[in-house]
Amino acid sequence: MQSVPLDTDVAIETPEHIVFRYRVAGPARRFLAFLLDLIVCYAAFVAIVIFVTIVALGIAAVTSTAESVLGAGIGLLLILLFTIQWVYFVVLEAWRGRTPGKAALGLRVVSTTGRPIGFRAAALRNVLRAADAMPLPIVGGLLSVAGLASMALTRRFQRLGDLVAGTIVIVAERATATAPLILWPPAQPYELAQLPDDVRLDADERQAIEMFLRRRARLGRARELELASMIAGPLAERFAFRAEDPSRTLAVLYDRAANAGRTDAPPSSRTPGSWR
Amino acid sequence: MALVSELTERAFAARRQRDWDQLDALVRTVQGRGLRRLMPEQIAQLSPLYRDVCADLSRAQGSRYSAPLIDYLQGLTAAAHTVLYGYGRGRWVLPGVAGGGLRLALDAFPRAVRRHWVAMVIAFLLFFVPFFFGLFATLNDPSFAVRIVPEEMLRPLVQAYKEGFDSGRGAGLDAAMAGFYVNNNVGIALRCFATGFFFGVGSAFYLVENGLVTGAIMGYVAANGAGDNILTFVVGHGSLELGAIVLAGGAGLSLGWSIVAPGDRTRVASLQATARSVVTIVLGAAVMLFMAAAVEGFWSSSSLPALVKRSVGALMFVLVMAYIVFAGRGSGAAAAAERAERADRWT
Repeated sequence: MQSVPLDTDVAIETPEHIVFRYRVAGPARRFLAFLLDLIVCYAAFVAIVIFVTIVALGIAAVTSTAESVLGAGIGLLLILLFTIQWVYFVVLEAWRGRTPGKAALGLRVVSTTGRPIGFRAAALRNVLRAADAMPLPIVGGLLSVAGLASMALTRRFQRLGDLVAGTIVIVAERATATAPLILWPPAQPYELAQLPDDVRLDADERQAIEMFLRRRARLGRARELELASMIAGPLAERFAFRAEDPSRTLAVLYDRAANAGRTDAPPSSRTPGSWR
Repeated sequence: MALVSELTERAFAARRQRDWDQLDALVRTVQGRGLRRLMPEQIAQLSPLYRDVCADLSRAQGSRYSAPLIDYLQGLTAAAHTVLYGYGRGRWVLPGVAGGGLRLALDAFPRAVRRHWVAMVIAFLLFFVPFFFGLFATLNDPSFAVRIVPEEMLRPLVQAYKEGFDSGRGAGLDAAMAGFYVNNNVGIALRCFATGFFFGVGSAFYLVENGLVTGAIMGYVAANGAGDNILTFVVGHGSLELGAIVLAGGAGLSLGWSIVAPGDRTRVASLQATARSVVTIVLGAAVMLFMAAAVEGFWSSSSLPALVKRSVGALMFVLVMAYIVFAGRGSGAAAAAERAERADRWT
């Protein structure tokens, strides 16, 4: 049985019928990504404005076409402004699934089925920014009241554009591999003597104990014992087992629950596809 | 349970770690430098490795291994899934424009417009009834325009149109104005569509507002004796520009209506289905506005004789209407467009 999913997770079923979960990105993280994108865009815009101005002044100085050059420059910059507002997000999200701002914060846009989004979905979710920005369509959509309300009301933090296009923004960051917990020192004879064969812990208990065991090296000894004793008491009673201190009690019980009846087989050498 | 491994977590991880690392390295290569950087034998490995890791994930969940291990496998599976079912195959190019798809896109746009013809007619009325109201009210009493548009904006317009276009504008100013029209008009059209989300209210508001203001401005300029000139100016790009605003607004009304009356779908499903159908209209309207900006910037302001401009304007109107009403009706075109729409990658 799986533990109950947190509400910020979304389950994706692959064509292999494997279900895995994406963490859905919340408003704060997405706001930062958006802000970063705006900074990138407008910094590039200012750089280009300076460049175009210098070039235009240069051309106007040697020829006598100042007016046309200036006009062409302004036309170009206005189209650039349009690109920042409407094109930038659409093209990058359709192409890569993420803008530089989203990439910096580990975000990615996917469809509600976990697949990459296409051009039309990217266009829709970004055109709908204009609706998300209501009722204060100013400051480049930074005050998206409607979008925020929509994110608060939907289970998967979808703004209006996400609802219309059927997309979600997920956190694509990867957890690094962590070594499994090992009971050290191994269970002593006097511990084994009183330890029951079958230690059954439910999913919540296991997870709580595991998180504690992983953290305990970073806690002070007194704090470690204090935390352990909160849960060790009832467990010690339930399994009629008590080690030298509460922290050790939990470690031994966890080890028995996780590893009892399992073999420590040596690594096998095998070729991909043969693991069945 | 068949999936429960007899192995301890440590043995399981030790046994499988090599494959995980291998898949991880492949995925990182693809994410960083693209699928093309893989050797043929690496590509052949990718899929079986992915399936194995999928199996590992489900085994780890079934065996209730620790949360960090399951998190790690989830992340690896998700990353590999993105790579395998993913990006970077050059499909992001404007859908269907490459390789004979331009024809399909040209057919799909008017077909989508006709599919939503009721909304389009309503949008047309929402724009043109206020437009003519503003026009005639201002012709009747020029102070009407002053009440909706600030006088400081109206005076320079009158000035400009009185001068006429005999001298033309500089090529530079033409380019600047074209840029302005792209930025301003496409922005208005997209906003007009997007705000239709709120039960169509936003679209209706923008349609009425733009209709009224446009009518009032034209009326005001005409009332001040430059009517011929402004007509000559707008006739060239008017059918494209106003047509595109109406189409974008109509798409917004459709979007809003799909929430009000979802039929036998849920409201969200109805919204998404309609959005899928009207996004073609919005993109088409944006293209129309780009064309309008070019015409308005470089043609409408030129010093060509009024007769030429008006004839071309009339021709444009006929062409635009004929395109929207008749294009893509042939059975071959119909079948091809339907197929393209279904095949077009959506989600």
